[in-house]
This record gives sequence, C-alpha cells and structure tokens, in this order.
Amino acid sequence: MGESDRKLGKLFLVFAAICIIALPFIVFSAISYEPDEMKVTVIAPQSRAFDENGDAVFQDYDRIAKEYLQGTSTERTLSEYYLRREYAGSPPYIPHKLEDESETEIDCLTCHAKGGWTEELERNTPLTPHPEHASCEQCHVKMTTEALFAANDWLSLPPPRLGRSYLPGAPSPIPHDLQMRGDCIACHVGPGTVTAIRVEHPSRGNCRQCHVPDLFDEPFKRK
Amino acid sequence: MDITRRAFIKTAAAQSAVAAAAVLFPGISFGAWKNLDTSSGGIEWKKAPCRFCGTGCGLLVGVSLDRAVAVKGDPNCSVNKGLCCVKGYHSIQILYGNDRYRKALVRKNGELVETPIQEALDLVAEKMKETIKDHGKDAVSIYGSGQWSIPDGYAASKLFKGCIGTNNVEANARLCMASAVTGFMTSFGLDEPMGCYDDIDHADVFVTWGNNMAEMHPVLFSRMLANRKTKTHVKIIDFATRTTRTSQAADKSIIFSPQTDLAVANAICHEIIRNKWVNEDFVEKHVSFRKGKTNIGYGTEDHFKFTDKEETADFREYKAFLQDYTPEKVEKISGVPAKDIKYMAALYGDPDKKVTSFWCMGMNQHTRGTWINNLVYNIHLLVGKISTPGNSPFSLTGQPSACGTVREVGTLTHKLPHGVVANETARKLAAEIWQVPVENIDPKPSYHTVEMFRALDRGDIRFMWIQVTNPMVTMPNLKRYRKGAQKQGRFIVLSEIYPTPTSDIADVILPSALWVEREGFFGNSERRTQHNEQMVPPPGDAMCNTWQLIEVARRLGYEKQFPWIREAYIEDIWNEYIQFHDNPKHRMASYKELKARSGVQWPFVDGMETKWRFNPEYDPAAKGDGFDFYGKPDHKARIWIRPYEPAAEFPDNEYPLWLNTGRILEHWHTGSMTRRVPILHKSAPASYVEINPDDAGALGVTNGSRVKVSSRRGSVVMTASINGRGLPPKGMVFVPFFDENHLINEVTLDAFCPISKQPDYKKCAVRLERA
Repeated sequence: MGESDRKLGKLFLVFAAICIIALPFIVFSAISYEPDEMKVTVIAPQSRAFDENGDAVFQDYDRIAKEYLQGTSTERTLSEYYLRREYAGSPPYIPHKLEDESETEIDCLTCHAKGGWTEELERNTPLTPHPEHASCEQCHVKMTTEALFAANDWLSLPPPRLGRSYLPGAPSPIPHDLQMRGDCIACHVGPGTVTAIRVEHPSRGNCRQCHVPDLFDEPFKRK
Repeated sequence: MDITRRAFIKTAAAQSAVAAAAVLFPGISFGAWKNLDTSSGGIEWKKAPCRFCGTGCGLLVGVSLDRAVAVKGDPNCSVNKGLCCVKGYHSIQILYGNDRYRKALVRKNGELVETPIQEALDLVAEKMKETIKDHGKDAVSIYGSGQWSIPDGYAASKLFKGCIGTNNVEANARLCMASAVTGFMTSFGLDEPMGCYDDIDHADVFVTWGNNMAEMHPVLFSRMLANRKTKTHVKIIDFATRTTRTSQAADKSIIFSPQTDLAVANAICHEIIRNKWVNEDFVEKHVSFRKGKTNIGYGTEDHFKFTDKEETADFREYKAFLQDYTPEKVEKISGVPAKDIKYMAALYGDPDKKVTSFWCMGMNQHTRGTWINNLVYNIHLLVGKISTPGNSPFSLTGQPSACGTVREVGTLTHKLPHGVVANETARKLAAEIWQVPVENIDPKPSYHTVEMFRALDRGDIRFMWIQVTNPMVTMPNLKRYRKGAQKQGRFIVLSEIYPTPTSDIADVILPSALWVEREGFFGNSERRTQHNEQMVPPPGDAMCNTWQLIEVARRLGYEKQFPWIREAYIEDIWNEYIQFHDNPKHRMASYKELKARSGVQWPFVDGMETKWRFNPEYDPAAKGDGFDFYGKPDHKARIWIRPYEPAAEFPDNEYPLWLNTGRILEHWHTGSMTRRVPILHKSAPASYVEINPDDAGALGVTNGSRVKVSSRRGSVVMTASINGRGLPPKGMVFVPFFDENHLINEVTLDAFCPISKQPDYKKCAVRLERA
C-alpha cells in the first residue's frame, strides 16, 4: 500500500515537472500565431469532388434531435482523438471491448450511427461520419497488445491546428480532407464529440455556408 | 509483469499530461506520432496501386519532405472509389521499420557481413558463372513473386529464359494462382477473368466459393454489401468449409466437407439439367464438351509427372456422368443438405437473376484445383451466365501483381511473355524482341515451384535467386525444403527489405527498394495495369529489383540485351514488353496513358478498355452474335467432365482433424511487412489455432491455452482460439500462416494439383494435444 502511494507521489511529481517544463513552450507557441506557418500544415490539395456526400449533413441535421445536437460533455479530448490514429485522417483503432469479436456489420452501427450515452462504457458514443460503409472492421481494428514486432521510424505531419480563422471572429476554414469525413455533424456536434472541435452553434444546419475547405496554398495570381 | 505495469503507468502519465495541456490550451493538438519538420510546405498526393492484395485499390500517398506521411483512397480509381482497408490506410508504414536492409550482406564464416552493394553484385554474377560452368545452365534458377513489379519479372524472364537459356524461372504465384490459370486455359484457352469489378454493382446473387472476402478482399466485399443495401433483393451465399466474417455477413452460409466442392458443383449442374434451366441456345452455339484423365495422383513424390489427355465428349455423355451426382448422393459425401444444393442450383438457374461467383485460394490451393475451376465454369456455361454485366465466374487474385507480373509476363517455367516455351512461334517472337538466338530458349519446361525446391534439395539446382518472397515461411512441408536449401554447395541470393526466415538460408542479401521507392507497375485481378512513380528515395544502398537484375545481367555479358539507362529503364522496359501483347486480344496501354490514369484494363484497343471479354458488345476482339470464346480454335468454351476425387490426405485415427490454413485481415502473407506496421501488429500479434468448441471441449482445451498441432511432417505449439474470429466445423482446425514464430507450414503437406502443380494448403490431417 505504502509502496504504491510512493509511486503515485512520484508520478505526481513527474507530472508536475512535465507541466512546468512544457508550459513556456505551450504558451509561446500559442501566442506566436503566424498565419504563414499555419498554412503549411494544411493537408492539401484535396479533391472537391469529395464533398459529394454533403447531403449527409442535412440528413443528420433533420434526423437528430435538437437535444442531442446541443449536448455537450468534456470526456473526449483532441489528444485522445489523435492518440488513436497513426496520422491525421487515418482510421482510428477500436478502443473498447467488443461483445463478439467476429462481428462484421450492423453491430457497430447500432451505437455509432445514432450516438448517445452507453451504460457499459459510461461515455457518450461518437457518431461515424460514414454510416454508409457497413463493413467496419475492414478499417477499424481492435488492439490486442501494446508491444511491437519491430520498431518503426514513423513520422507524419502534425495534425491541423485549430482557430485558424483568417480574421478575428471569422468562421474558421475546414482544415481537413472531406473524403470519408464530409458529415460535419458526426464529429463537430453533440455530446460524443471532441471538446475542442465542438461547434458552439449546433442549431445551424448548413455548415458549409460559412466554413469552406482551405484547399490551396497559392494566392490568386492573374495570368 | 512489473515492466508491463511500469510501462503502462508511464504511458498513462504521458497521456494525461498531454490531455491536461490540451484542455488548458485547446488550440494545440498532439498526435500519437512523431512529427516531420513541416517547413517544406505541406503534402503532395501521388497515385499508386496498393502494395498488398490482388484487389488493386488505387491509393493516394501523401508525400512530404521525401517521406510518405499519409494515405487516402484514390477517388478516381474505379476499383475502390476512394475506400481502402486497414492495411491500405497504414501501408506506407511498411517503408519505415527500423530493421530495413540498408546494405548488402554477404555470408562469411556463417555470419552475414555488410558489403558494398557493387561487390555483392559481383559475387552474385561470379557464382552464377561458376555454377553454370560446373553444373550446367539448368543448375541456376530464379524464384520470384506475384508481388514483383512487372519490370522485375520481365527482366528476370529475359535474363534466365532468353540469355542464360534455362526455364528455371518460377514465382510464388504458383502457390496461389496456378490452378486459376490452368482452369482458364482448359475452359477458355485464355487466362484471366472475362468480367470485371463492375459485376459487383450489377449482380443479383453472389456465391463465394471457399472465399473469405470480408478479410481477404475487404474493399470488394464492402462494395458487394453496398450493392445489397441499395437493392434489397440481392443475396450473398457463402459456400465454405469454415464460418468466417463472410459467412456472418452472408444471407446464407453453407458449410461443406473439405474437397467435396467438386461433388457439389457437379450436383448443381445435375439439378440445373434436371429442372431444364439449361440455356440450350447458349450451350448449342458456344460450348463444347471435354473429358480428361481421372485418378490423377497428388504429386507428393519427387519427379512426379502428369500430362492430361483432352478428349472430346458430348452433352449426352455429360448428362450420364452427372447421374452419380444427385443432390441426395452428394449430401452423403459433402455434408451439404440436398435442399441447400437445390437452392444454389435454383439461384444459378433462375433466368431472371444475374449471378457472380467469387473464389480465390479455397479453389486454387486444392489438389484438384484445375478441376474445381472447370466445374464452376461449367455451372455458368450451362446457364449462359457469363461475360455480361453481373454474370461472372470471377477468379480473384491473391497478390497485387500475380496477374500483371506472373501470368501476363509469364514468369513460370513453361511460359514466355506471350505463349509457352513449347510453342515454336512463341519462342521465335521472344527471341526477336529479346534479340537473342532462338536456340537459346529451351522448348522444354524444367521445374515448377515445389519440384524446384526438391531439385535444390537433391542438388540438381545449385544456385537460387529469390526476390520479393519468403519461401522459408510459405513452402508446404517446410522442414524438407529448409534442410535442402541449407545443404553444402547451395548458393542462395535473396533480394529483401526486412530480415525473415528466408534470410537465414541466404548467402547474399541484396537490399531492395520497396513499392513507391521505385517506379513500377502492378496488374490486378480484373486485367487492370497500374503505374506508380518513385515517390521517396530508398534507404541506404537499397536498389530496385529490376536494376539488380540488370546489373547482374551486364556482369554476365548481356549488355546488348540490357542496355537501359537508370533515368528511363522502367519506361523502356514497358515499351519493349508490350510488343509481346500487341494484338487486339491483349493490347496494353502506353506508358504515357498508364502514368496519367488510375489504371487501365486490357485489352486496350483504340483508346477503349475492355470490361467484358468474349462479348462483342464490349470486346473489339470478339466477333459475331452473342459470344465469341476466341481463346479456343473452334471459338467455343469448354464444359469439362471432372469427377470428385478425395484429398491427398484426410483425417484418420492417428491424425483425426483437418488442418486448414490461410490469411487474416491485418496481415499480408508472411507478415514481413505488416508486422512492422504498429497498429496491424498490435491488433494481431501472433498466430493461433481456431478450434471448434466441441473438439476443444473433448480435448479439455480452453480459449487461450497452449496446444500442439502435429502432422506426419512436423508440429507447432500455439494458442487456442475458441469462438474467435472464425469458427471451423467439428473436425477441423484453422491456422493463419503469417507468423514466422509459429511455422504452420512445417505441418502442411506438399501435395499439389497434378495439372497446375499448385500445392493444397487447405487440407491435411493433424492431431491436437494440450501443451
């Protein structure tokens, strides 16, 4: 008992130290807001054709209850969101237990197509942005171990930064690809979403009237 | 245990620190990955076919600062229309395993020693010359792969068949697609499917024959599910020896006893005829009947030889033959209820339903693989459901370029890029394009894969160059072939990217450039050729396999045949290669076209792809009304009389269970690439043996306990999986083969189809013990 208390104490010390060391960096990078530097992290160029599932936003908006749209929670953070991915835009792994390890379709969608509170996990379920794909485990796998077979020298780009509005108070552009993630409501509205990217005005149904994809680095030039 | 807990606490602490910071500063986000310095300016997306299965999904690889950093599906590629599977999305991580081979290695006093690559290539050439001088040209061989890029296979064939003059050219596609090829050749006279993936959008009924598509061809499988979702009448029937994810998603799962698919296919035809569902007009105009030898053996002995004898038959004889295959009789052999056989026959026979059959290893890795391919074509031919949208007997390919590099380039002992070595016209064409004397090309095939490894064991072959494959995990009856390769006086060259069990038998290891680290082409299941450019530099001294072959060819004195320069050799090879196929039955797209498009299907005639062959509506090479099976001299497809014959080995008192082996979703083949992808390994870290709960109960084995699986050839101890992802029926166990630490192929049997010479990895007899 004493042993584990000591460990916990050490852990707090380490945590506090990390926070103190990290603080100046975090503050510095938060203050030094450089639009040019932001631009380079845009995952671009992307195909506009992949906005073709845009009607999903309207359908979800019609389908989903007002109470859900306005629901909030703080249980899911952006870091947690990215810790389940190998790069911004890769399919996340399945972080929870599965009832039947061999399920192929429907079972995932009974929760992830409608969202809401789950008793077993005591969390709000995130919605899938692509319920039209039913063979979920084709892309989303469950982890059964933490160990690696061989180490991997993997690097990718940093995830897009938030708050990238071009003017103070202006709506921020869409910093990510819309392929498979064109349904804004799934990830930006409701209690199952990540706190940092939840919109404050869920009652509005036509997201892309204000938020447009940030597609190209090059400024306009006359020929 | 302690370490695990500490590691866990450390991770948890780091994660909560990150999480706390993120709450404080919501504008900052942290990934689980290390970041690339991004002062370069974003991502450039470039197209490539996926590195893994034969589906041939189009990927867009995001490249930044000479590193591949992200993947998305290519929306312009009609194969996958922007969707991938978990392997595809994480495919680029295969480039960055820390244990990549960066330098050539040469074995000195038993140890692999780093050597400058030019020196290693000198040694390879020297050894080849010495072996040819001492033991003759048929003592050197090359063993390649359905994961070879097209120029790799082409250079190998030109060097060995054209220049050196030996037919010792084989590829691992012999282990995966040979029966599909002989099936096509005997039934239609031309290799590769008549249909295409668009069939998935048109069919009303799908029958998967021993084919767990949900895990092996997941992108095509979800396209099938999407079709069923939009058209509610669509049915999927899974006809298999084991319950899988595919069976779970299917409308009906029908389980048959191993090897009895032969009997069931005949019974389906019996029912179609009995119910008068035969398309008489189609059969009359487009089909002729054949029979071949029976009791054809299993090839388990060295020097086994078999040549089929094709004889003409007729409809009357075929009907008489089928009298032995009534559903009731077949129920007794196969365990499939007669009513289920009748149900399948009714689906195939219904004139209003378009039917697509899919199969892959279940039918190909079969000691009667050619026969079962023929028998499924029989069904489609009887009802005339072929070569039209949605009506398709579709043989899926396992590997990304088994079609492109092995079947089309002809990197098999009996083949040339166009035609077979036994054919004089084909030899003349090859000699002319290759600029070699026609006498160089030996008209006699030498060894197919299993026999090639037996020849290595016997000492008939002394030198083997292995590229892009891992035979020390994949050969059946593995112990014999490992011992053979390790014998004195054998010299093994291996072109590889990571250490594998095959590295352990190699004398020279040449580091290879992988996938998008070099320019190349793949050819997928639906006759689609796909180009990729070089996107990132290969690590260290790693060199493209084609260029390795060119370097050695020049050292052997074949500068004239291998004159290409480094800047343009892939394009030059493509231009030389497509001369072999310059006819309306197989014309291929130009280099420029392939570079611009997300794949092009051959025959590519007058700027048009051919989606359905043998149908004049879609295929410019087909003439006349209805159909034109121009692969055969009489322009007719064949219905073959092929009986049911038992497997080479089946359960008995000593070894009472069937052993079935195969792949799983997460891992590609032997896992040499996918096990270095963190998420794929973390999801499926080790192989296991799936056991039916009844068998497990009788043995007293519970989920997760250790079990010894043994056969007459070897044994392996592994973890039991009960009610896991797949469920074998009582009397069968299933083991995935990806895990080099649990070599299930030491247990399997090297029996093969006498016509295709493809081994049967799906059937042998084993026993289980608690370990």
